[in-house]
Amino acid sequence: MSQPVAAVRHILIEGNKSYHNITEDLCSPTEKSPSREWIIAFSLSTVFLGLYVFAIVWTVWKGIGEWGANRSINWAWDITNFVWWIGIGHAGTLISAILLLFRQRWRTGVNRAAEAMTIFAVICAGQFPIFHMGRVWLAFFIMPFPNTRGPLWTNFNSPLLWDVFAISTYFSVSLLFWYTGLVPDLATVRDRAKGFRKKMYETFSFGWTGSAKHWQRWEALSLVLAGISTPLVLSVHTIVSFDFATSVVPGWHTTIFPPYFVAGAIFSGFAMVQTLMVITRKVLRLEQYITINHIESMNKVIVLTGTIVGVAYLTELFIAWYSGYIYEQFAFYNRVFGIYWWSYFGMMFCNVVAPQVFWARSIRRSIWWTFFLSIIINIGMWFERFVIIATTLARDFLPSSWSYYRPTWVEIAIFTGTIGLFFFCYLIFCRVAPVVAIAEVKSILKVAGDQYIGPNAKHGHGEKTHHH
Amino acid sequence: MHHDNGIWVGTEDLMRDEAFAQSSQSEFSVENIDQTDGKWTASRRDFLKLMGFGLGAATIAASCEIPVKKAIPYVTKPDEIVPGVANYFASSFVDGGDYCAILVKTREGRPIKIEGNTLSNVTMGGTSARAQASVLSLYDTRRIQNAGKVKEGQVEKMEWAAIDREVKAKLAEGGNVRIITNTLISPTAMKALGEFRTKYPNTTVVSYDPVSASALLEANEKCFGHRAFPHYKFDEASVICSFGADFLGTWGNPVKNATLYAKGRKVAGKKGAKMSRHYQVEGYMSLTGSNADNRIQIRPSEMGAAIASLYGELSGNGGGPKLNDKAAGAIKKMAKDLQAARGKSIVVSGSNNVAEQILVNRINDLLGNLNNTVDFGAQYFGRSGDERQVGKLIEEMNGGQVSMVIVWGANPSWDLPNSAAFNTAFAKVGTRVSLNTNMDETTLLCTHAAPAHHYLESWGDALPQVGQLSLIQPTIAPLFATRQAEHSLLVWADSAALKADSEQPYYEYVKENWQNNLGAGQSKYLTKDAFWEMSLHDGVYAIPVQPITAVFDTTVSVDVNAVSKPSSSEVEVSFYETVNIGGGQYAHNPWLQEMPDPVTRTVWGNYLSIPLEWDGVNNIDGWKGLVDGDEVEVEVNGQKFTCAVVRNFGQAAGTVSIALGGGRTAGGCGVGYGVNVNPCLKQDNGLTQYYAADVVVKPTGGKDKDFACVQHHHTMGVKAMGKEEGKVINADEKTLGYKGFQGSLTDRSIIFQTNIKDLQKLENKLEAFHHEAEHLNSQTLYPDNVEYFGTGLKWGMYVDLNSCIGCGACQVACVSENNVPVVGKKEVARHHEMTWLRIDRYFYGDLENPKVVYQPMMCQHCDNAPCENVCPVNATNHSMEGLNQMAYNRCIGTRYCANNCPYKVRRFNWLDYTTADLWPSNEERVFHVEGEDKPYYADNLVRMVLNPDVTVRTRGVIEKCSFCVQRIQEGKLTAKREGRAIMDNDVRTACQTACPTGAIVFGDLNNPNSEVSQANKAAGALAYKVLEEINVRPGVQYSAKIHNANEELFS
Repeated sequence: MSQPVAAVRHILIEGNKSYHNITEDLCSPTEKSPSREWIIAFSLSTVFLGLYVFAIVWTVWKGIGEWGANRSINWAWDITNFVWWIGIGHAGTLISAILLLFRQRWRTGVNRAAEAMTIFAVICAGQFPIFHMGRVWLAFFIMPFPNTRGPLWTNFNSPLLWDVFAISTYFSVSLLFWYTGLVPDLATVRDRAKGFRKKMYETFSFGWTGSAKHWQRWEALSLVLAGISTPLVLSVHTIVSFDFATSVVPGWHTTIFPPYFVAGAIFSGFAMVQTLMVITRKVLRLEQYITINHIESMNKVIVLTGTIVGVAYLTELFIAWYSGYIYEQFAFYNRVFGIYWWSYFGMMFCNVVAPQVFWARSIRRSIWWTFFLSIIINIGMWFERFVIIATTLARDFLPSSWSYYRPTWVEIAIFTGTIGLFFFCYLIFCRVAPVVAIAEVKSILKVAGDQYIGPNAKHGHGEKTHHH
Repeated sequence: MHHDNGIWVGTEDLMRDEAFAQSSQSEFSVENIDQTDGKWTASRRDFLKLMGFGLGAATIAASCEIPVKKAIPYVTKPDEIVPGVANYFASSFVDGGDYCAILVKTREGRPIKIEGNTLSNVTMGGTSARAQASVLSLYDTRRIQNAGKVKEGQVEKMEWAAIDREVKAKLAEGGNVRIITNTLISPTAMKALGEFRTKYPNTTVVSYDPVSASALLEANEKCFGHRAFPHYKFDEASVICSFGADFLGTWGNPVKNATLYAKGRKVAGKKGAKMSRHYQVEGYMSLTGSNADNRIQIRPSEMGAAIASLYGELSGNGGGPKLNDKAAGAIKKMAKDLQAARGKSIVVSGSNNVAEQILVNRINDLLGNLNNTVDFGAQYFGRSGDERQVGKLIEEMNGGQVSMVIVWGANPSWDLPNSAAFNTAFAKVGTRVSLNTNMDETTLLCTHAAPAHHYLESWGDALPQVGQLSLIQPTIAPLFATRQAEHSLLVWADSAALKADSEQPYYEYVKENWQNNLGAGQSKYLTKDAFWEMSLHDGVYAIPVQPITAVFDTTVSVDVNAVSKPSSSEVEVSFYETVNIGGGQYAHNPWLQEMPDPVTRTVWGNYLSIPLEWDGVNNIDGWKGLVDGDEVEVEVNGQKFTCAVVRNFGQAAGTVSIALGGGRTAGGCGVGYGVNVNPCLKQDNGLTQYYAADVVVKPTGGKDKDFACVQHHHTMGVKAMGKEEGKVINADEKTLGYKGFQGSLTDRSIIFQTNIKDLQKLENKLEAFHHEAEHLNSQTLYPDNVEYFGTGLKWGMYVDLNSCIGCGACQVACVSENNVPVVGKKEVARHHEMTWLRIDRYFYGDLENPKVVYQPMMCQHCDNAPCENVCPVNATNHSMEGLNQMAYNRCIGTRYCANNCPYKVRRFNWLDYTTADLWPSNEERVFHVEGEDKPYYADNLVRMVLNPDVTVRTRGVIEKCSFCVQRIQEGKLTAKREGRAIMDNDVRTACQTACPTGAIVFGDLNNPNSEVSQANKAAGALAYKVLEEINVRPGVQYSAKIHNANEELFS
């Protein structure tokens, strides 16, 4: 073997696990009675979900006038939250698809949860474009289908319509991908279950037997879905950015938006994965599957994308000045020093400055730092969308129409309510499906786990003694 | 069936198949129906299918919204009413001294819109916001609906005959009777009053106006022998100087003044154009002052000194109180200008001090303006009241000398400075009869209410100007059991001339008076009937009048020392009348309440205007550090009131100002908005003074949570002395972004303005701008759509910023024409106003003494409209004729169009403003009249004002200016029916017809001879499109604002 073999990464599965241990560890959360932490978290999420439902009913019943948006700032928290959630929903697909194609094995520890997070984040995101409509009961007008109203077609020039396609496609493909991955694991749960649970998992695992043919088809389908998903990671947020980039509003009408939005989305997505993983691994005792090495890898992605986002912010400022176009210049001047200056500085600090601490290895590998910064980044990315939307609309072309926006309780309730919705879904997911992909983890046990037996094994990564 | 003629259907027919022949005999084929033993059966599946369909159909049918129809067909259809076709009736809007010759548009018998009457020599086809809004007050739910006794704020219903008996019995007792009115300009009403006085000789008519012009009238009577406003030829004047007279908004005959004023200032398209120069000397920024070329800021108490100093300059007889040096220097220079324009200048004053008005008259005389630009041959009677009569009346009432008071249209219990004294005295009068239409403050204190009709239900006439007769005719049968005021007086006077048994007694009375008295000498028409018919048709009749040569009576003492004395107090306040709610008499009209004040841009109430201070570096701060909406306690003349402040660039340091008319306490929807400042007014020799010195303003620390101002940002390049730079700099750019208050860039392609002497420079600048914009706009990847609009009709608009005075008539006309909902103060405070047409107001020039430009802003109907391509459902799209259209039914309310509109003219129905949803629960936040459960628009009476040609929009959809597409459609149909091309006259938008100055021109851009094409062409390089360089290709052109300031005035 003259071919050089890359040094193996850090160990991805710790604790000298056997295949049986893995099955036991990962299936047990679905089999045991819920822990107290879970019950508290679930109750809290349900309360916020209830608040969400209440605020949405309130909005639909009374009108969008219950929000703080106005004749100049027609979008505010609604679309801010939409873009924020959609951004969060980007990590899942990136981890599942792109990292699969790049053969990044460390993805196996986190991909299941990240994909689930993607799906729930997209569900949360989808609430906003629907319920920000003045006449939500006519929302079906945005679907192009033959109809008796003329027939009236949708406007294929509108970025909002592209959004509909982009997000529904993304949601369907992500859901398929996630579920495909779940099938063998559900079968594993089924095999251990009894009675009604067994019946239920039997249905959901589609009669998986684990035959070689099943595995072959499963591998093929996963690869095909990964292929389909990969462009989606880039396209969805690109299209979301078109909601702004194709407008004439200074501050929105910029060509930098697509890459800048995609980088930002991955950035925020990874931050959210970190937030969830740090809690999940602790609560479900999965520290040996979601290791510090996983966390460090993701922190590396965060510092990279955060820096890309930072460069984008500065590029925007430079281009605004360089364009020589006064409205553009004013828009960015206003972003930085105008009425919402605090949100711009909040964004800059949280997204660009704060993640730089991840250059230090010890911080990258610190659970507390990771958790703290993931929250900071989530806040920063929310500020970014708020800066883009509200600040821009508050000061556009005609000074006569400039206005100021502040949210009402309804908007705050809807936003916090979607966080409730998100955790409601995620907590149920933790209880019904293995949060780490059992089959995939098993597949890397011998190549990247602490039982690694390959060419580099002697170099020391496989020593059991490291971990006792 | 086989036919003998050889025609056959199918082979069976041809072959004469037996079965076919049989089946073709029976009418209904049964071939395909499942049959068993000749019996109809239905299988289980059929049953389920039918049941499913039936249930489904029933569910769908039952859940569809079925509109509630309350149409009742005519038993006998009136000839003149064709459903769907509007009728126009010539009439006159008269309210106290306000007059406007109008056409009333009625649909299916309901008046819905007011248009100007172009036949009138008094208002010349123009209208005012007040006239436009007057149609709404017809459908005021708070009108008194029947006659009766007033008890505990309610009218205890009585039959008219019964109330007549009671009033006549009281009158028969023979005590002194006083009739209180505002200005009365109706000759027939005068005749009726004459009859009343003949019957009851102890009767006196007391006439005053909520905002007085008594001093001017008295001075004119003294100096020239005419107690009236002269006709001011603002179109012929080359220098106009106004000492605080708001002649474009509220003073004299503002509609005509505005029309003529604008004529003298149109520049666009005239080679070597000249325009008048307008000086305004004032203590606050009035609508007129905001249009002036030069404002000379004085403290309100210095008005007398200012007039005296101009008189001193012109006559050489100095003296009088001392004016501040800056103003005095400016007046010296202004005097030179005036002298240079001898006979071609006008000096007017809004002062209510007789000595000052005499000085002004003398100044006009000295300048040779008398009988040239100041003409008593066409004198105007718009305001003829005298508040001193009320003072006398109060004494009489206190002395118990008055046994009956009849209040006719006036509201002395509220709108006098001494209303409290009036009310005490009023209570001592035995019988107090109100003819007012609403349960206002005065009617509440009356014993009897005999409510009059609204003017749109009335017969009547007016003589607003000498020789200019004008008729009022009803356009709808009375909505309530009310009775014409004159009719009531004539009944009480047992008039023999009133044919009380006829169907419309006062109609007969007016007609008789016109035929036999007013038109007795007419020779235009052959018969009296023709005279009447034609006058009624035209609405106006002009009697030829003899020219008058006024001579200044030299025996009148012209005393520079008799003028008001300047005060040395720290702060002074001006009280002013606004163009919308006047002295409070229009406060109950929601359209006028929601029309922003042109200068402060606030709505629903009155706010204290405070000056702004520039620290020379980064901040422009409100006086005392106050910001908009902060509450202050103001103490004036021993009276205190609390109100919110609004920072106003035109307000001079050391002065504040507040509008009259706020804080009504009874009678309609204006109750609860603003503060009543009438008690703060002082009287000097019985004449009300609209300013006060020794004002104490204390911030309370509170805030008006619903401070409602539609424009938070006001400047477009104001300049001031920079502290660091030590020279005059652009203050806007220095304050960019600071505190979010100021900070715009001044090179925005929104407003272009210049001094007329630099006209050529501006033309060159605009030429370069057009060139640059064209270059930028040609850098597009998309094919140009210009060709597409090159044929057929292409609608466009031209707005002359030099003619627009900001009066707001267009805005109210638009609201009226297009069913734009009223949203109320709270919603405006949240920037949810729905106005399709707004008038943006920008300050430019000197920060401390800025100039103003008004910019009517409506949908620009862009040919490359940014709103259209972003709508996901095609709810907004472009017509072949260049209209940007809204399909409300298609709109789902994503609001992307509104975000992407560079002009921010799109309006979203945030709430169920029009109560179209029929969901009671979502009506809480929409506009309610105080104390009413139902929202304003839920009342069927109010809904009668809706224009049936325009869809009432529901919650959740976007709406915006449609270029009055319903009028376009109507005009096109007319032209088509008459088999001709469409002409300018066929289509005129509501804003265009309302405008008194002709600032708005609308028409077909593809027709080179249309007015709009001609106007665009004439304006040449001065015409520009707002944001021309962003390639949205608007259909509206503006022409630059040109002023004629005397640049040397303060140097």
